[in-house]
Amino acid sequence: MEILLLLAMNGLVWGLIIALIALGLSIIFGLLDIINIAHGDFFMVGTMVAWATVQMTGNFWLAFLAAPLIGLVLGAIIQRVVIQPIRNAAALSIVATFGLSMILQETARLTFGAVPKRLLPPIEQTIRLFGIDYEVYRLFAAALAIAALAGFFLYLHHTKTGTWMRAVRHDPDTAIAMGIPAERVYVLTFAIGFALAAFGGAVAAPITTVDFRGGVDILPVCFMAVIIGGLGNLPGTAAAAVLLAFMEGIIQSFADPTVARIASLVLMSAVLLVRPQGLFKGFAR
Amino acid sequence: MSRRALERAILVAFGVAMVAVPWLVPALLGSFWVSVIAEILIWSLLAASVNLLFGYVGLLSFGQALYFGFGMYGVGIGIAHLGLSFWPAFGLGIVASVAMALVAGIFAVRLTWHYFAIITVVFSLIFYFLFLTIKPVTGGDDGINFTLPPTFRFGQTEIGLADSTFQYFFILFCVAACFWLMHRVIQSPLGKALMAIRDNDVRASLIGLNIYRLRLVAFVMAGFLAGVSGALFAFFGRYSSASYMFYHVSGEAVVWAIVGGTGTLFGPLVGTGIFILVREVVSTQWQHHLLIVGVIAILIVIFAPKGFVGLWRGLMNRVTS
Amino acid sequence: MSEPILRTERLTKRFGGLVAVDGVDLAFEPGRVHAIIGPNGAGKTTFFNIISGMLPADSGRVFFAGRDITALKPHEISRCGIKRTMQIKSVFPNLSVADNLWITAKAGDGFLHPFRAASRFAEVAAKVDATLEQIGLAAVREQTAGTLSYGDMALLEIAMALVSSPKLLLLDEPICGMSPAETERTVAKIRELARQVEIVIIEHNMEVVFGRADDITVMAQGAVLARGTPREIGADERVREAYLGRPEDDDA
Repeated sequence: MEILLLLAMNGLVWGLIIALIALGLSIIFGLLDIINIAHGDFFMVGTMVAWATVQMTGNFWLAFLAAPLIGLVLGAIIQRVVIQPIRNAAALSIVATFGLSMILQETARLTFGAVPKRLLPPIEQTIRLFGIDYEVYRLFAAALAIAALAGFFLYLHHTKTGTWMRAVRHDPDTAIAMGIPAERVYVLTFAIGFALAAFGGAVAAPITTVDFRGGVDILPVCFMAVIIGGLGNLPGTAAAAVLLAFMEGIIQSFADPTVARIASLVLMSAVLLVRPQGLFKGFAR
Repeated sequence: MSRRALERAILVAFGVAMVAVPWLVPALLGSFWVSVIAEILIWSLLAASVNLLFGYVGLLSFGQALYFGFGMYGVGIGIAHLGLSFWPAFGLGIVASVAMALVAGIFAVRLTWHYFAIITVVFSLIFYFLFLTIKPVTGGDDGINFTLPPTFRFGQTEIGLADSTFQYFFILFCVAACFWLMHRVIQSPLGKALMAIRDNDVRASLIGLNIYRLRLVAFVMAGFLAGVSGALFAFFGRYSSASYMFYHVSGEAVVWAIVGGTGTLFGPLVGTGIFILVREVVSTQWQHHLLIVGVIAILIVIFAPKGFVGLWRGLMNRVTS
Repeated sequence: MSEPILRTERLTKRFGGLVAVDGVDLAFEPGRVHAIIGPNGAGKTTFFNIISGMLPADSGRVFFAGRDITALKPHEISRCGIKRTMQIKSVFPNLSVADNLWITAKAGDGFLHPFRAASRFAEVAAKVDATLEQIGLAAVREQTAGTLSYGDMALLEIAMALVSSPKLLLLDEPICGMSPAETERTVAKIRELARQVEIVIIEHNMEVVFGRADDITVMAQGAVLARGTPREIGADERVREAYLGRPEDDDA
């Protein structure tokens, strides 16, 4: 019973972090019409930034600032240099982001080495919760993820550029006709997508290992959340991420983790084939 | 010399060179490079299967590693667990991958565009994780090793892939046969129908083409190519492993095909050759060859979206006109 | 009265709250050129889309020469002998003009040979050549279809409809967007075709319709407003009011 509760809690926390990364993937998919194979590596960059921050300054908290900032800058540069030139050939974008993924992974390996690293959480206490000792940092991570999610939705709905992003996603032609600078919105979208994933990486760094291949396992989970939640349905994506990780957490309490993964993948194929608009259409809009 | 004649001459020269490899290459470069060329030939079939779907039907599959893996495990399980001899194991690999492609295709070709790419990668991931869990059968990530049964037996004499020259020619023959088959398909009524669907699927259905069934046929054919590729790779490495079913393998095949040039018969072979040669040349000096692979992929996509064969054709057009 | 070539019964299609085709009962008699006219949004193209199977009808039936084709898929309807052109020109842009016709001529066959070279199907090649001559595209036969001029592309579409030996041709604004010279050439071709095959044509251009059609159907807001000969339609007060009398605000 304790194990079940622990895994369910871990699943919930992990799901909130995944939601953050999947949102980035979803806005890039929705606005730029790109399947971003490198998105998991954006997360990995976040974990690396966290590790480097601790190495250089000894202060973990700075990573929460450094990771999204570096994400924003790298995202903007990558969009201008790699994505913009192939805007009209969506199929090729898979190849380009696959190449990007290799470049990011190898650069990380070149800089930080191939050995996976552990990062100690900045809060090491545990707290008694529902009869189990639970790490405080995980609760803190969940709170951070929720705050970032809320911040992102506030940004989308209450700022000028956020409104631009929603307009371009809804109908790019009309948006451009109305004078919205679509090119700048594309750069911004990619940058924010990268920043969300990198922030998720920094938050997750003490929970997972810091490894140059750390994004490889994250990517499929994020795609599952985007598809099951419904393309373009951002709240649905966030909900699906939490639901999936929670479900996998519970399945893991009585079966192999890969069985849990297979279950989510089967669910995802069913959604793709039967309800390609996602599970939550008309439910959370 | 006309362009057609030039291209035909290049093709003949290439064919002669491929046949001469077991004698020429050890003398010039060392016998290690014979097996590198054999590996290029094998992997080029996986890239060709991506090309058949993307270049000729307009469907981008990101899950061809699944059928590669089935080809591999058909051979591996056939020999190691079922005690099959060479040809039945080869047959099992091909039949397994074709059957898997048929089942997956029935669902997958209902979708197009990004959704098709995603469902194909999802199917391949499901079986990747499944094969990781059923370790007693598949050996999981470590895979299963096996001893090669002989290919032919004449009384007391046995000929098998242990003979490296025979192995090279066996691989060359199988790969050449597959490319020849694909060439025939492209020239056939079926091939024209597939290209029509690639160009304009709405119009294709209005002229009376059953696009669902034709896409399924192409998907199964692509599964066959990937399956032969996987079966050959199992023979070549004497083992089968689930790690070859991961989506990175599918992704690399897509990169090879597009960088070489999709919609052309030999584009995938060119792309595969370039990337494996880069890997073999660079990785001896520097372990980060994937960095170069990534850079090449991005540069090609930006500056030569039709791939190396497209570059070559553009050059020929400029020279001949 | 002979069996109508095409007949619809209470055909209805809704898009959300909009009724695009509203309980349309129509019968097209064989041996005459039929035209459907009406302002934009009258439901003409939707009507074609339902007949050709591209859109499912919400209710109602479609009969082709007496046979119920309502639930059939586009390729099955095409194989019955109904061919159509699109308002926005729709060909296979990366194939040559000859290959466009070749695959169109062959597509109706249930079996497409996977290995025999296409060039060895002599009877199909002969048909392609004859159609190229008839339509006047022989000079551009090896050109990639996507690089054709607008008028040639429209002719290619008509040639594609023709090469498959159709029983009924649905033409959706065949001269829309053409230069006067191209219009003249295309109209002449259509008139020639009308002798061999049944034609239903959607048209905006009044001159073309009144000059060529035997029967005119006027649609407005998804429903049939009037039917008759060009003379009758020209004299119809309701049509005048709903369509002809209005300024040229619907000429998109």
